[in-house]
This record gives sequence, structure tokens and C-alpha cells, in this order.
Amino acid sequence: MIEFDLLRTGAARPAAGADDLRRDLELDKIVAAASGGDELVAEVWREVLLLADASPDSISYRQDAVRDALRNRDAVLRLYKIANETVDAVQRRVFLFRPHDPVLVVHEAVNGLEVMVASLRDVLAVLKSAAFSSEAFRQMSKSVLDNINDEFLASAQQLVKILRFEDGVQFSVKIGELNILEKPVLLVPRKGGNNILSKMLRRDEYVYRLDPRDEAGAYILDDIRKWVLARAASTIFKAFNHLNSFFEYLRRQLAFYVGAINLSGYFEKLGLPAAYPRLSKGALKFSNMYCLSLSISAGSRPVPYDLDVEVEGGFAVVVTGANRGGKTTFLKAVGQSLVLARAGLFIPADEFTLPSTGEVYTHFPRQEDRTLSYGKFEEEVKRFSAIVEGLRRGDYVLMDESFSSTNQVEASVVAEEVVAALVDSGAYVFYVTFLQDFLNRFLDRYREKAVLLVPEVRQDGTRTFRLVRGRPMPGHAIDIWRKYMAA
Amino acid sequence: MEYLSILGGRGRRIDEQVAHDLRIHELLGDIFGKRNDDFLRSLYLEPLDNEEVAVFRLNVFRDLLKGEVLDAVAEFVERVNKAVRILAMEKDVYEEHKIGMHVDAVLLYTEAVETAWSRLRGLPIESEGLASFTRYLGEIAGSEKFRELRRRAREAAEARDQIKIRVWIEGDRIRVTRYEDGEDLSALVDSLFSRFKGDGEGAEVKYIKTTGDTSHIHAAILRGAFKIYRTQYDILRRFSEDFPSFIDDGIANFAKEAEFYLIYVNYMKNLEQVGYRFAIPSFTDGGIYVRKFYNLLLAKRGSAVPNDIQTDGSRRIFVITGMNSGGKTTFATSFGQLAFLAKLGLPVPAVEAKIPFFSSIMTAYPVEEDVEERLSRLELDVARAKAIMEKADSRSLVIANELFSNTTSDEGLLLTRLFFEELAKRGSYCLFVTFLHKAADLDGVITLVAQPSPEDPERPSYVIAPGRPPAEYMAARIARRYQLTYEKIREVVK
Repeated sequence: MIEFDLLRTGAARPAAGADDLRRDLELDKIVAAASGGDELVAEVWREVLLLADASPDSISYRQDAVRDALRNRDAVLRLYKIANETVDAVQRRVFLFRPHDPVLVVHEAVNGLEVMVASLRDVLAVLKSAAFSSEAFRQMSKSVLDNINDEFLASAQQLVKILRFEDGVQFSVKIGELNILEKPVLLVPRKGGNNILSKMLRRDEYVYRLDPRDEAGAYILDDIRKWVLARAASTIFKAFNHLNSFFEYLRRQLAFYVGAINLSGYFEKLGLPAAYPRLSKGALKFSNMYCLSLSISAGSRPVPYDLDVEVEGGFAVVVTGANRGGKTTFLKAVGQSLVLARAGLFIPADEFTLPSTGEVYTHFPRQEDRTLSYGKFEEEVKRFSAIVEGLRRGDYVLMDESFSSTNQVEASVVAEEVVAALVDSGAYVFYVTFLQDFLNRFLDRYREKAVLLVPEVRQDGTRTFRLVRGRPMPGHAIDIWRKYMAA
Repeated sequence: MEYLSILGGRGRRIDEQVAHDLRIHELLGDIFGKRNDDFLRSLYLEPLDNEEVAVFRLNVFRDLLKGEVLDAVAEFVERVNKAVRILAMEKDVYEEHKIGMHVDAVLLYTEAVETAWSRLRGLPIESEGLASFTRYLGEIAGSEKFRELRRRAREAAEARDQIKIRVWIEGDRIRVTRYEDGEDLSALVDSLFSRFKGDGEGAEVKYIKTTGDTSHIHAAILRGAFKIYRTQYDILRRFSEDFPSFIDDGIANFAKEAEFYLIYVNYMKNLEQVGYRFAIPSFTDGGIYVRKFYNLLLAKRGSAVPNDIQTDGSRRIFVITGMNSGGKTTFATSFGQLAFLAKLGLPVPAVEAKIPFFSSIMTAYPVEEDVEERLSRLELDVARAKAIMEKADSRSLVIANELFSNTTSDEGLLLTRLFFEELAKRGSYCLFVTFLHKAADLDGVITLVAQPSPEDPERPSYVIAPGRPPAEYMAARIARRYQLTYEKIREVVK
């Protein structure tokens, strides 16, 4: 049996917060760049970028395959083209709009088989000439070549001819309960009538000819033919489906790598660095990491980010500072890189080391005013609750101004409880917030397990839009009080 | 020996308004499912006047509820009915089919009789109805005529089974030959293409024949088969000629009547599977003692809440008050249905049920506005009370729902009191659902109250229990909180 898996995405279960991720991290922009308008590539990318499960093994498996695909660009693109054209040709030539009419099913499915058997020859040719080195592509190539050879192709072509039933159908049948004909078995046709044996058996033969005016009889005969073909039709339909799914599966799997080839071209055009992420327990490090969606929108390289922290057993990266300081862009850059890393792709950075391959969750503000019976704060809390339900140690939570829909004093209490619990539970939190109580108390309590980033302001007061380490501002209220009292 | 009807006797058709109020038609819809049988439906709309007949039927149920008896009877009825259906089909088919149908009808019938007799005779049957039928079966199964019928039918079926032909359809020509050997074409396809993993899901071509199995073309193919297999054909043909008719009238009647029981047992089983129970009611000389009865229409959705009701018979009027949407009407309707089912001689939805054999069940539920407005709603209520009074006796059950609610509460209460006095004079039983809390203070009534949920006093529990009506109606509040606390998150995130 032909078996291969270029993606190793397992059950391909989508991440719990897939819809939020897609929107909050602007993944559609990245997908559009990779797909170049190919809807299948886009679909597969959305699936692989939004996986719930991504084991370290599956990630390095895909990384190797991506590298291999970039080296064997031509073979990958050629195979993708064959698979695509075959599936399209089948779609054009095969009309299975009445899947319960066996005669039609057989006729159409055999049309499809004919097309696909021919395409298999082309696939074999490409595979024989390609030089794949990754486990994924080598195994795929081997499995196909082991199962399909010239002998198979010849038998398949002969069978396709038989299945045209040009000399009618032959079947065996028994008489069941109520003298109803039962258990029809479609037989490989045998030429009869002229040989000596059949003449000898003539007295054991009964021939019924339909009266040309017997329209009802013709209809019934047609019905019987369909009934006999029904079981065979299922098998033929299944064979058609098997072969069709082979091409569907092949092009679907290749689509991911076609996207990688496209995106790689994009990186080159924008002058973005490309790093294959590394996994290292307790380490979170990136340098010159860009927000890919912003690069794509702007058509240039935006401000890069750097970070290097020990994050063993849970950590919080807290970001605060003036508006338009690129804080949300930072969250997006982190989120996008995590998502690309889990897919096994290269990311726009000089290097990227991450502590786990956990799932990514986003809790960003929602613009639309949903008509809910509870207040905005409750809506936020409800959404966060849903995130917590699926959260596990090693997951990433990206929070953009969470809990800011109520006054900062009580919001800070909630934020502190939540972020402290997440960090202590072993999650990695990236939190953009203005909640002063939270910043002061939390960063004081979690000095070892948190870091604060603020927008860089140069000595001369100019903003670089980069983020640098900072410290929470001490309270100035008493000063201000005194100042006014003094006045 | 004569066949004795397994139904014990017939009842009298229920009043249509009562059936409507107690939602009997919906109930029958559930009991009957897709089945459409006018004879059975009419039986289910005829509550019995005679307590003895009800007991006769309940005793049959007692036997049937011992699983083995049920299996034996159900299997028997199914087979006999099928044989009857086949016989009916014979009239409309070609000779080539008829000779086969006849064999199968006889096989079904003889197997049905023999199996049922051998199974039932070994089971501890206590009801008069089933004991009598078992004796009847024994008499038939033991006869020489019956044994010969069976032997010949088997012989014919075996002959038919030896036939296997090869058919070649090409254009308008059908060629039939003896099947010698051949290669299965589907298997060939499968062996070639199964190396492609793909999923075969949805590839099942389920062709449903549109022209039946007994046309002249089918007959022609059979004719070909019979021409080749001449000996087998002769055996089949002679069997039909020798045994033209064979079903006993008593057995045919039993097969029809037994469905009354089978359909209900089947209905009970469906509900028992989701945790509800049925009891065989016993009839008292005045007391009511019903434990954990529930609403059948809600039970199918799994949302029926069981309740108790009881009286020693000295007080017979139940006043049901309490929070809105608290299950008061459901309670009263459910009890009405229970009483109705008991009067049909059927097991009832409860854990235990002791009730009088009610002479009649009457209802007074809110009605849609009188279209012609000849009478005010209040007048309509009073008119209905009057109609009830005319028929009510010491064994009547009256179920009243918000009666006298179309007026001031003082007036309503006055009317209620007068109504109760009349009922008391007759000694009738009454379930009186009302939002007039003061009705619970009237003399000689038993007061039941819809209880709030213990977890949330603003929500109903659907429990109806003895007690005083609440001081005031509770308003619903909406208070939802999502607590994200340190401890809870630590518990959840692993």
C-alpha cells in the first residue's frame, strides 16, 4: 500500500483559539504571501499554521523537508503541477452527480481511472529523476515507486477496458426467499455462443428477447443491470476514490512546500533574514526578529526585536509604554514566529530559540460591539476563561491590554491573579498592559520570572520603536500632592 | 378449542376534549411512532369501564415483563404477520414467484407456531389470557396436518437453494445458463487498486431498485432457471398445489391483538433505557398512593422530574400552587395521563401506583377565546364546572387547570370554594391547579406547592410537594460571574 506523510501533522486538530490567532496575528497576510493566490496552498497553510499539536519531532521533520523542498524546487513544483492537473482533469471529465446510479457511477469512475492511470506514468518519471534527501520526501518517493511499476500500469489499462462493458454484463445469481433473485456477482465476461462447448450445452440454455414494444420491460432490464452493477460500482467507485485521493493527498501535502518555496522568494525580495527555530529547554531568545505581516504590508523591513531570557518553568514578558510604541506589533511578531516555528518553517530573524512547542493563545481586544447581556469586562473574562480551559504547561499566552475594560485598580487585581497563576503553572505570557498596580506589584513579586519591556527613547527624546528592558515607574502621587500643597 | 381474545374486552371511546387536554394524542404519537394501525389506535382511545378487564390485561403485562415470555410472543407475532403479508402478495405475482412465496410463508408460519409453543409451554405463565393461548397453540402444533405441512415446505426450500445460474444481459437479450464457474470482477478491481490508501468513505453505491423484484423480466429469468433445474421446479410447484391455505383464524386474531401489548412494552423499554420506570397499577377502594410518577412526554427528552401524590381517601381535592413555570400543570396532566393509562389496563409511569379505578376522567383546561363571544371566559369556566358536576361521582377524577382565573381573585376564590363544595358532596377526586394561593386555605383540601430549586431560589425544581404557598412570587434575576482566581487556574492548567 502506498503510504507517506510529508507533513506529520497527526490528526491536524486545529488550535483551540484558531480563529482568534488567525485574526489577532494577521496570519491571512502571511498565508496570502505564501500562496500567491493558490487557494489550496492557502488552505493547507492555515491548517498547518493553526495546529493544536506540534511535537518537537514533527517540527524538525517538517524543517528538514522544507530545506529539501527548497533544494529540489523544480521536482516539487513539477509534481504539484501533475497532481493539480490530474485532479482538475478528473473534475472536468467525471460527473458523479447521481452517486446512486450504478451504471453512471461505473461509466464516470472508469473515465476518471483512465485519466489517473495515465498521470501515474508522469509521477513515476519525476520521482525517478529527483534527488530528495529528507526523510519525508525520500519515504514518499520510495513508497510510490515500490507500489507502482509498468506491470501495474498495463493491468490497470486492461481492466479499464473491461469495465466499459461493451459486450453487456455477465453475473451469477441465486434464488432467495420469495423466489427473489439474490446475491448477484458481476463476473469477468466470457465470450459465448460460438464455441463447441456452448453448442453442446444449448439445451441447458434459455434465451429471452425483449419485445421491442415492451418499454416497461426495457426499464426493468435496465434496473436489473444497475442492481447487478451496484456492488461492483461501489468497488470501482472506491478504486476511483482511492486513486483520486492519492492525487488529492499528494497535491495537498505538496501545497505546504510550494507555499514555503513561495515565501522563501518573498523573504529574498524583502531582504529578510531566515532562521530555522531551535528548541532549547528554558531558553527564550531571538535577535533581529521582524513582524512578518507588517513587512508584507509595508513591503520593507520594519523595526526588529531582540530578547534573551531564562524562562525555566514559566515566564512573563510584560510590555508597557506610550501608545503607538509598536507594542502590539511586538506581540504579533512573537506570535507569528511561534506559529511559523511550530509549522516547521523558517522565521524572519537572525536566530530564534524557544523553550517549548506549546500551543499559542491570543487575548486581544475585540472591536465589534457584541450585543451580550453582560458588560464588556464580563465578555473579556469569559473569553479568557475559555483560554484557560485548554491551557497546558509550556503554552504561550499573548495578551493585549487584557482586563482594561474596568478601572485599573480592580483590573490589576484580576490581572495579577491571572498572570501569576499562568506563570506558576508553567505558561509563557506576553502581556501588553497599562495597568499600573499590576505592573508595580507583579514585577516586584515575580522579579525572577518576568521581564518588562518598554519602547526605547533615546537621550535626545527620539523614539526608535524598538523595545528595551525597563523598570516599572515608582509612584509620584505624593510628590505631586506636595507640589500642589506647596503651591 | 376456541381462541379467547387476549384483550379481555373493549372499552368506550374517550371524550375528545379530555384527550386534547391530557395530550393523549401526543402520547399515542410517541407510543405508536411511525406505525399506522387504526385498529390499535382505536383500542388505545377506549378506556375500560370494567375493572376486571383492566386487571386481565395487567396480568398479561405481568407475564410479558418477564423478558422470555415477551421475546416468545413478539417473535411469534412478527413471523405470523409476515406470513400473512406474504400470502397477500401472492395474489399479484407471476407463477414463478408465487410458488416460492408460498414456501416462505409456510416456513415462517410453521416455525412461528412451533417455536412459540415450545418456548411458552416451558415458561411460568400466570395470566389467564396467555395461559389460554398457550394451550391453543399446543393443540395446533401437535396436529398431523401441521407436521406434514412443515416437512414439505422444508423440502421445497432445499430444492430451491440448489439453483445457481449465470445471466448475460446484452442489449435486449437475456441469456440464462447453469453457473459453472467464474471470476468475480469486483474482487479483481479491488486487488488492483487497494494499494492506493485513500479513503473509500462515501463510495458505497446503494442502489435502490425502482421496479420491484417480481416483474415479468424477473419471472423470465426464473423461467430460465426452472427450465434448467427441472426437478427442483417440480417440487416447488407441487407444494403450492397441495397446501393452498394454512393460517388458523385464532392465530391470525392473536397476532393482531397482541400488538396492543407489544407496542407498549416496546415504548416502556425505550424510556426504561434512559432511567425511567413503569409500575403495574393496583386498584384501591379510595386511597391514592403514587410514588415517583412523571410526565411521559418530558421523559423522552430526559427532563421529567418525578413526584409523589397521596391521600387515604378522606380528602380528595388537591390544590396545587407555587412559582410560575414550576411544573404545576405538568404535575396535574401527568397524573391524568397515569389514570387514563391505568384505565386502559396498561403499566403506568411511576415507581409504584395504587389508585382507585376511576369511573371517568374529566378536565377543565384554559380554552381559546370563544370565537363568537357568546359567553365570557368566566361564563365558560362556570359552564364547564357545571358539566363536570353533572357527571361526577365518587370515582370521578377531575383535573382543573387555572379554572376561575378570568376574574378578580376574590370572585375566583369564591367560585373555587363553591366548586370544591360540590365536588366534596359527590366525593370526587380533583387536582386543582391555581395561582390563587388562598385556595390552599379552603376547607378539606390537600395543599401541594411547586418548590424552588435548593441551589437557586429563583429557579424551579419542578418538585411538587405538600406545603404552604410561598409568601410572594419570585422574580428572576440574572447574575452570571466568571471567576478567574489564582487557585482555579492552577487547578485547571496542568
